[in-house]
Amino acid sequence: MSDETPIYQLLEQLPQGGATVRLLQAFDYLVPGEWQNITSLEGMIRSTTGEEDESLIQTIGERAIALYGNPEEGYQRAVWLFQSVDSLDKLAGAAAAAHMIGEKFSFLGFMEKVTPSEETTQCVDAAVKFAAEMAAYCYCNGIPGDSVGDFVGSLSQYAKEDVMRVAAWVSFDCVLPLGPDFLDKILGKLQNVSLDTLTNNRVFQKISHLLPGGGQEQKALIETNMQQSASFLSDFTSSRDITQNGVIDRVRSVIEVSDDKLDYVAAAVDMFTNYYEHTGIQTVARRLSSRAYGEI
Amino acid sequence: MLRVRYGWSLFLGLAFAVAVAGCCGGSSEEKKPSRWETKTTPSAQPSGAITSAAKPPAPASSEPKPLEGSAFNKFFPADATDGTKRVFTQEKTGYAEAKYQKDGKDLLTLSISDTANNPDARSKFSSATEKLQSHPMMTVGKNQSTILVKDRFQLKASSQTLDHEARKAWLSKFDLTGVAGL
Repeated sequence: MSDETPIYQLLEQLPQGGATVRLLQAFDYLVPGEWQNITSLEGMIRSTTGEEDESLIQTIGERAIALYGNPEEGYQRAVWLFQSVDSLDKLAGAAAAAHMIGEKFSFLGFMEKVTPSEETTQCVDAAVKFAAEMAAYCYCNGIPGDSVGDFVGSLSQYAKEDVMRVAAWVSFDCVLPLGPDFLDKILGKLQNVSLDTLTNNRVFQKISHLLPGGGQEQKALIETNMQQSASFLSDFTSSRDITQNGVIDRVRSVIEVSDDKLDYVAAAVDMFTNYYEHTGIQTVARRLSSRAYGEI
Repeated sequence: MLRVRYGWSLFLGLAFAVAVAGCCGGSSEEKKPSRWETKTTPSAQPSGAITSAAKPPAPASSEPKPLEGSAFNKFFPADATDGTKRVFTQEKTGYAEAKYQKDGKDLLTLSISDTANNPDARSKFSSATEKLQSHPMMTVGKNQSTILVKDRFQLKASSQTLDHEARKAWLSKFDLTGVAGL
């Protein structure tokens, strides 16, 4: 997937406009000023280090590229995780066929193919995505101590691309389809779903080989990750006043949707955008820039 | 008629998409070659090949095996130093990094790296004119100060707000004796 593509190309391939970028910009109000759409390695190095000397930027960039190029460093796996949880249900050609109606993106005939998932699937999808966030964090930053505890502790320190992604995940994958009590729903479903249900989940199938342990341990990890993060996520949602109405209004300011049903809008966001991959590549590039600056 | 209409709207849609892509610089054909490709020989490597700079870092054979990043954590200035909150941010083989925050804002980043990972990093210290205790010290760019301990471990203080003197003070808060004893 990303293994052959150097990090600078992954960044340069990110769109500077389009539905994903516009949607993230529309949700900037949740994390004011944190996220910028940086689509070059040079830009990421400047943002991370504040350095301006071109030869220094070149040296940092070459080191960052080298670190990313070594699969054992884990950065490629982090990118792969971010890409994998975002690559399901994307309609080939939908993005290219999008056109503008006023300020909004319309996807012409693709809307009829939007199919909302039933609630259990939505709950499991959301939890597995969040487990992927934790796993990507560990691959990117190392695994200090026990992974879940450190990840949960780090959530409150999330900034820039990271906090934008969490805000988007809470909005699009949790509050929008599941409502304000999304945590209770997700935790309840996780406790009740069978291992078979989990292993048949398509998001899980894509990423399970990058989670530690076998099926039961992975199920327990996904549950523990949600349980231990619940307090943070609850505070995050209430302090930023993330509501279904607020989310749907912002989504509709960017994407022309022909049905106001909340799960339908959530499915449309899932199908027509790739915010996880987009911000995930930026996250990895920032961590690489920081480490390269420390190592050169 | 329906087919004609659909075809026309699709044409308009595509034309608009092309126009938008052009305005946004989305046309990859028009982009200049990336600065990161400068080391690539076009005839020798296919488009998109990893450049020489992007080869996996391979410690030279004469270098020792890099230490695990976890070995460095205990030498960082403690949490609450000068009223800051310490957050470890990366721990990889041969590298550990922590940021220190004050009043909720990032103040600086401290790091320890084992230059066995990147031996080239040591050479710059030959031009160092300052010392911290007995360790050669220098600035890198405008936002970073660094020392080399035991001719192997590079300790850095990076900040977009602190000057060299302030960064130097932070470097002195590392357990330098501990690092030298590794």
